[in-house]
Amino acid sequence: MIVSTGDEAPVEEVRVGLGRPLRVALLYGRDDATRHDVARIALAAAARTCAVVPTDDPRSFGELAQAFRDAAPDVVLVGPDPKRGAAMAVLLEALRLGCGTQLPAPRIFVIADPRVADQLRPAAVGLPFEISSEVGEVVTALRAFRRGAHKDLTLRDELIDRAARSLASSSGGDALVIDVSEASTSCVLARADGLEAAHLAPLGLGAAADHVVARAGLDRVRRWLPRAIDAPALLERVFNRALWPGALPATEAALALEMALAREAIAHALRDAEDAGLDVAAMRAAPAVLVTGRAASFPRAAQTLLVAVDGLEPSGVTTVFREPDEGRAERVALVVSIRPRRYATVLLTHAGGRMEHRVARGSFTLVPISGDVEVSAKGARVKGIGHGGALGVLIDARGRPLLLPKRDAERIPTVLRWHATLRALPSQGAA
Amino acid sequence: MTWRHARWTAQHPLPIGVVERAAVGRNVNAGDVIAAGVALGTAIRMKGARRIGLPAAEMERELRVAIGAEVTAGTLLARTGRRFLRALTAPIDGRLLHLTADGDVYIAPIVGRWVVRSTLDGAVTRSDDARVSVEGVAWCIEGAAAYGPDAIGELTLGVSSPTEDLAPSRVDVRLGGRIMVGGARVSAEVLTRAHACGVSGLVAGGAPASGLRVVYGETVTASGAPGRDDRPTVICLIAFGGAALPDPIYRPLVALAGSRAAIHTASARLFVFAPADAGEFAAGELDLALAPDYASVRALGERTVNGEITFPSEVRTGAIRHGGEVVPSANVRSFDTKR
Repeated sequence: MIVSTGDEAPVEEVRVGLGRPLRVALLYGRDDATRHDVARIALAAAARTCAVVPTDDPRSFGELAQAFRDAAPDVVLVGPDPKRGAAMAVLLEALRLGCGTQLPAPRIFVIADPRVADQLRPAAVGLPFEISSEVGEVVTALRAFRRGAHKDLTLRDELIDRAARSLASSSGGDALVIDVSEASTSCVLARADGLEAAHLAPLGLGAAADHVVARAGLDRVRRWLPRAIDAPALLERVFNRALWPGALPATEAALALEMALAREAIAHALRDAEDAGLDVAAMRAAPAVLVTGRAASFPRAAQTLLVAVDGLEPSGVTTVFREPDEGRAERVALVVSIRPRRYATVLLTHAGGRMEHRVARGSFTLVPISGDVEVSAKGARVKGIGHGGALGVLIDARGRPLLLPKRDAERIPTVLRWHATLRALPSQGAA
Repeated sequence: MTWRHARWTAQHPLPIGVVERAAVGRNVNAGDVIAAGVALGTAIRMKGARRIGLPAAEMERELRVAIGAEVTAGTLLARTGRRFLRALTAPIDGRLLHLTADGDVYIAPIVGRWVVRSTLDGAVTRSDDARVSVEGVAWCIEGAAAYGPDAIGELTLGVSSPTEDLAPSRVDVRLGGRIMVGGARVSAEVLTRAHACGVSGLVAGGAPASGLRVVYGETVTASGAPGRDDRPTVICLIAFGGAALPDPIYRPLVALAGSRAAIHTASARLFVFAPADAGEFAAGELDLALAPDYASVRALGERTVNGEITFPSEVRTGAIRHGGEVVPSANVRSFDTKR
């Protein structure tokens, strides 16, 4: 990857990667706050969650110890409930029994006030025990672990965080970066008050495609395909793709599969982000969205747009950009998401004049206008300004959450029509 | 290279409840028990130091039974005082599992026994309560993924050609305890039938991913699923679905048939214990190509580099032609390449 560093040294090659896998176990109290604390850190640090254990876990002491041993965590994030320290101490005792002989021993990070954390220290005797109430500090430590001996390695998630901050400062508002690569998926929202980051690994459209299916289910991937395919054949393709990091889709069917995987990876990342208490509504409402990674490297910009819109389900007026790993950033389109009761009239004001579009509920329309566009509507609450980009203004009135017909006979024509609207498939004509 | 005769290390993770394990330096054969232990039921927490009036730090010293020892109901675990005795006794038959930092003890009933067997002929190089590692020399091929527990048995051909699929009717109880070579594909039906007939494990070019999900669960991935449960064992050497075994893989399987073998599922390796001169095996590279639609994987034979072309997906990249098919060069990799 080439990164510009200023006038004197115009370009500098940097090594970008995910670093070594970091397996984390999450231990938290019964309340949502402690669960959110540890889950947010794991998501921000692109850690692989290998065990999730609340203090009210119904498993017996021996079963918990065995689960910890099987999980073999590198790091254990502990979010103790100040009122139920004893229950957390039991979990740490089980961890000690399960992982006491693990080499290297798992590092325990307690995210709490030192007074609360110190009460847990005896239960974890013999294991490295660190206390921090600063989330950023823990994330930095976990990233250092992933970097290992490669100090010069730029972590992909750090780069995405930087891109989100940079887009937010240049656009002057909230900005979301969506990155779908071979083995990781990220959704990072940059706001004036900081970052909300969800980096999920392994979850991607290539080497971790099998994890998308394992987490989301095969039917959720299959529903996005614009042609019929039976589940066993689809699963075989996903598993074979997972064995081939860096493979490229040579056929339209393989391309459609990667697009489907990317949509579900984004949707799943958002679900995990919501589960960790991140502001997913703000992510969906971000006025600027940048798509990066493999999802930005599809041959047509329309393919990236469709993947972003279906996976993210934006809720306002959104300018969509894309930036492939080995290419330049480009504006793709302006997405106007509306939810009319039956019909609405969308007013588009641009350099060439003013246009009115009557939009029916459930429709999906592309208006090919470029440049800055001011959007307002009668019959639906939507207002904003954005840039039409290479494709124009996409008016998405399909509703939220986006529901697809269950039966193939209805679903396939619907999905095909959405693809055709954007000419997202090579067989649907030139871009 | 596909097959290699070399020195390998196999890790054998141990469950909680180890009773005995092989010592470092001990020579073992594949199939030998290298660790044995007990499966435990729901553990009971008993007040320890608080009950007998000791500081928590002194509890370990006062215990009359070592942590990990088996006890019967009524066994004296610890005692203090002379005139006013305070004693801690085991309430159930079981195993003294753990001593907590505050001096309490966990005791768990024994509900079963387990053993872990070596998957290599060699010497134990690490042995602790978490794992036993064995290092030894063997013929080995590393597959794409393996599922189920480790398996040990005699390598037996179940097919007569590398493109053939193993038919369920070829599997019967006479093959119990063997590792069967299943050709290009083993179906879920073959897997379950082989398990029911006592076949140790199956080796094939591929297995249908949907069949693997049926047998090993919905959350199974392409990385394999090593386990300890009583389930079939299968190693997919090339890919998922059907994958004809290329000559450099199949010929050695034929030559090594009849030898002792083991499948180490965590590393997706098939070890065969035969002399280094067991056969003339190809030492060259084997390249595999993923089909343009990802449906299958095949060995790459005669090929020509086609330069850069635009594929039907509109992806423009370097291409390789083999036979009548053109694939992106990114979809070709050596058999050796790790995921």
